[in-house]
Amino acid sequence: MKPHEFYLWMSYGMTAVALLAEIVALRMRRARSLKRIEEERDLEAQD
Amino acid sequence: MNVAAERLPAEEPAGSFAAAFAWAFSRDVRLTIRHPGETLLVVAFFVLVASLFPLGVGAEPQLLQRIGPGVIWVCALLAAFLSLPGMFASDYADGSLEQMTLSPHPMSGWACGKIAAHWFATGLPLTVLSPLLGLQYGLSGDTLGALAAALVLGTPVLSLLGAACTALALGARGGGMLLALLALPLFVPVLVFGAGAAEAQASGLSAAPHLSILAAGLIVAAMGLPAAVCAAVRIAMD
Amino acid sequence: MKIPWFYFASPPTFYRLAGWMAPAFFALAALLGAAGLYTGLVVAPTDAQQGEVYRIIFIHVPASWMSMFIYFVMACYGAVSLTFNTRLAAMMARALAPTGAMFTFVALWTGSFWGRPTWGTYWVWDARITSELVLLFLYFGFIALANAFEDPRRGDRAAALLALIGLVNLPIIYFSVLWWNTLHQGSSVKFTGSTMHVAMLWGMLLVALSFWMYSIGASLTRVRAIILERERRTHWVRGLAT
Repeated sequence: MKPHEFYLWMSYGMTAVALLAEIVALRMRRARSLKRIEEERDLEAQD
Repeated sequence: MNVAAERLPAEEPAGSFAAAFAWAFSRDVRLTIRHPGETLLVVAFFVLVASLFPLGVGAEPQLLQRIGPGVIWVCALLAAFLSLPGMFASDYADGSLEQMTLSPHPMSGWACGKIAAHWFATGLPLTVLSPLLGLQYGLSGDTLGALAAALVLGTPVLSLLGAACTALALGARGGGMLLALLALPLFVPVLVFGAGAAEAQASGLSAAPHLSILAAGLIVAAMGLPAAVCAAVRIAMD
Repeated sequence: MKIPWFYFASPPTFYRLAGWMAPAFFALAALLGAAGLYTGLVVAPTDAQQGEVYRIIFIHVPASWMSMFIYFVMACYGAVSLTFNTRLAAMMARALAPTGAMFTFVALWTGSFWGRPTWGTYWVWDARITSELVLLFLYFGFIALANAFEDPRRGDRAAALLALIGLVNLPIIYFSVLWWNTLHQGSSVKFTGSTMHVAMLWGMLLVALSFWMYSIGASLTRVRAIILERERRTHWVRGLAT
């Protein structure tokens, strides 16, 4: 049982990490896009 | 440079595949003969790298016989890959590529001619040289035969796949590395079956199944990829 | 009746649609995932030959299915974008690629950690594993090519064509266990039935559905970000409350 737990943890663990990483990356990408839009909007408002 | 202006037939309204093929093939072969440096470089690279492996892994005959087909195939792959950027580069740079897309001849004829010329300048010399390199690895006669047969079937597929990837990456940032990322994964099945053919022969089995699949792959590639090359060039032209 | 086929092909319309669809799909994914994990980890019995370590199957097989399915859908969107010259189909293809690559990586990783205790090795160059690795590189190539050009439309079209060329890899992955003698076992799950224990089968199917719902949610979220980036000069984007 003991040695098998390592493989199970590595598999399920990496899957959880991958899913979380993707969700975090998605949030960051959306935040970056919105920030860019706001910056360009402010730039245009200055003219 | 003036070959294009001289040879594009302006008076014929309808085009033909054969005319486009013959024109593109003869032009590219003539250009290669005038500047043999690139082809000789490809061949030299092939021979050099294939000769490096015995120096690196040790000259034990049994080991060399085992790795021989695979090593020669990988060298052929890399040599074919290195000559890819030159396929469309000069034509793209000086505008001849755009002229060819406007030609009345079907573009696939021109694309096939170019790919055939590329194979003539790279795949064919590699295939012809492979028995010599195989002797360096101590491969037996029938293994050399299977290797050469696999190369003659597989290297045109590499030219076809390589042409499609080169056309897709025309003018892209990232240059050679991007091309490697695109082309080498697509080359993998050809490598697996090509080296497998020679290895099967070496271990006493028949190479026929591997060669059959390579031939089938060549037919499928020859039917489908010229159209992909034309589509990719058109995408690059807007 | 005239069907407005291209109604949702307009970025602002689809942006709103995706906005409420994505959370719904994520919620479905969580529910199905919980059900699948419960079935797989609690209900399903210990395997006679492999003991507890076989439970990696509940991640490995669904992830492999998704890696191939997402590539197929991505290539379909690519074909649609080339045929109809629409922007949004190409954006959906771009949105799918990273999720597909993630599942391919998970399939390879979990397969590796399943192979060590059962086959004795973390890696072996058998037909299916090799072609799955090629699939990962195809995803990377797609993403790299799509982003390699100044003009994003050029990247869209080139990447779509590449996806179609690479489609030939999918049958190779799928049929490799049939064509070659490999370490991988043949398919136990077919459309006609299955040879597996029912709880194991259901665990796999529920997690597969969960991954599917997750993929839809993730790609819809990503396409919303892509739409914002690409359409940022338009009135409707400028007018969005940030």
